[in-house]
Amino acid sequence: MKSYRTELIRRDCEEISQQAVNLLQGLRNRKVYVTGGTGFVGTWIAELVTCLNDDHAFNCGLVLAARDTESFREKCPHIVSRKDVQLESVDVRTCIEVPDDVSYILHAAASPDNRQHMSNPLVTMETITVGTYNVLDSASKIAGLNKVLVASSGQVYGKQSSAKISEILPGTLNCNSITAVYPEAKRYAETLSCAYWSSCKLPVVIARPFSFIGPYQGLDKPWAINNFIRDALMDNPVRIIGNGQPVRSYMYPSDMALWFLRILAEGSAGQAYNVGSPYGISLHGVAEKVLQYSGAASDVILKNMNDDSSVFVPDDTLCRDSLHLTITVPIDAALKRSLEWYRKSADR
Amino acid sequence: MKKVIISDATLRDGSHAISHKLTKDQISKYAQAADSAGIPIVEVGHGNGLGASSLQVGLSLLDDREMLETARANLASSKLGIHIIPGFATINNDLKFAFDYGVDVVRVASHCTEADITERHISYTREQGREAYGVLMMSHMASREVLLDEGLKMQSYGAEALIIMDSAGAYLPTDVHDRISHLVENLNIPVGFHAHNNLGMGIANSITAVEAGAQIIDGAARGFGAGAGNAQLEVLVAVFGKLGFETGIDLYKMLDAADIVEKEIMESTPCITSVSLVSGLSGVFSGFARHVALAAKEYGVDPRDIFFELGKKRVVGGQEDKIVEVAIELRENTTSRIL
Repeated sequence: MKSYRTELIRRDCEEISQQAVNLLQGLRNRKVYVTGGTGFVGTWIAELVTCLNDDHAFNCGLVLAARDTESFREKCPHIVSRKDVQLESVDVRTCIEVPDDVSYILHAAASPDNRQHMSNPLVTMETITVGTYNVLDSASKIAGLNKVLVASSGQVYGKQSSAKISEILPGTLNCNSITAVYPEAKRYAETLSCAYWSSCKLPVVIARPFSFIGPYQGLDKPWAINNFIRDALMDNPVRIIGNGQPVRSYMYPSDMALWFLRILAEGSAGQAYNVGSPYGISLHGVAEKVLQYSGAASDVILKNMNDDSSVFVPDDTLCRDSLHLTITVPIDAALKRSLEWYRKSADR
Repeated sequence: MKKVIISDATLRDGSHAISHKLTKDQISKYAQAADSAGIPIVEVGHGNGLGASSLQVGLSLLDDREMLETARANLASSKLGIHIIPGFATINNDLKFAFDYGVDVVRVASHCTEADITERHISYTREQGREAYGVLMMSHMASREVLLDEGLKMQSYGAEALIIMDSAGAYLPTDVHDRISHLVENLNIPVGFHAHNNLGMGIANSITAVEAGAQIIDGAARGFGAGAGNAQLEVLVAVFGKLGFETGIDLYKMLDAADIVEKEIMESTPCITSVSLVSGLSGVFSGFARHVALAAKEYGVDPRDIFFELGKKRVVGGQEDKIVEVAIELRENTTSRIL
């Protein structure tokens, strides 16, 4: 029997399924291999693909490859029990062998949790650099492979002064800092992908994810919006260290899954695409909305202890114009749906 | 007017000075006075923090629950803070109940090169909706680059401020400016400073820290703290006022609170004794002073020699057993010289 939480996610997927049918025809009757398959991205890919298989006879097979498959069995029994989904225990840092019948690879192994990057920088870099090499090397041996998508990060842009970051705006990164471990490794992974595309003619596309909010994202993550939701659900004040003016944007994960799959299916080899909402909102603004929609009996506390007013918002022009991708779940709906899902999760 | 947040360590760091023998009555009286003075954060607990009461670093008269309960009952507007060192304090045995007793601010501390151990405690504190500060102790032992690296880790774990402690009272103002300005420039979270007075620099170093961009300053009434004591809190309040920094603390009431400490809590006024001066010069944790004095007496060696030897070995808090080891070594060396 499906839980209410699962039904909420299915509702999200059904809502965009007609658009997905039109945009993802290339995946019909194909097999997709996803590394990091039990993580946030992989889980949502599985939710959307299985929805398309159930409601639109898409007949798309999925292999979810990950280091820890056991916890996924507990988290998503409704996915694990399906015949169109296969779980595979794999550590991308060691040799990896992608099956010959796979048409698409979505390489999303590596946690974006910056706590892990700081505590285990060597493991983080090894997972991204060696892991990407192993995946691309295995991919290059599959004769009938249509495409590989390497999930990079919006963090590769570094410090930016632009209001909206387009794919051709490399920013500055201080490589001689522990904070550069993740973005520099991702930059290396992108360049490695480029090398495989150039020398092996491997059809590789890059996706650069920005910020997301929605089901399956842990509220323990050290990111502002996650903390706002967690504090609001506990009726605690929402604290902002600075002035609340930094601007970020948030994409709901059903949109994220569609964007990733569309880039995988139809993205141009050698191209990098931003994956994120182009609609910026200040941290203060998002905190107020979280409190409003949660009904929490608490306030936003602006500590004004720094004057950060940075903007980190992607330009979506390339995805919109070339791949016909749009935001279908605006920030208000994203927050309401997230709050509903997290409440149900807390009730479990 | 620039604001400075004062964090009051009297009922925590002061515990060192009286072998962790704070009574309920003392905690009640001081907490009431501090609250009335408008001190933003009042720390309470064993000198080494929650869960640290032990034979090795000293047994508390009261257990942690009694101290927290008493302080909480007497703090209406001041936030209740605690100091915790992962290893002494565990999440299940210590931190969980601390939240039940109404702790607002958790200062998660590690040696200045070991921020990695604070991840779970900081994360757990944030998950409970409480404020988490990262604290790097013995910060004089690390360069500003290392301190930044460790501070960035704490920031990534969710710390809402980074405090560097001059645990040995070893800094001169130029050292403080060098480190604080580098941290302020490169971190997104506020930076704070915790002084000790072994070289007579407690107030000067705290002023330097604020001028270099620090926004949180620790102090203790009458300087009641380990070794030569902390930056004297009522002096900080007065001097910051004179310099045009806003603390939000009522000076007269702060002076009244300091009188309570002098008359009802302190056994002796902290001063820069020969031993604590040597502690600062050798860069050894001020809280070792009593242990060093005991070992010196027992093994018949000069406590100043013990400090300098400990400094050479770069001994840090938690390595109290090294004191006796060093005292024995010194005695043996002396004996062999005579023979």
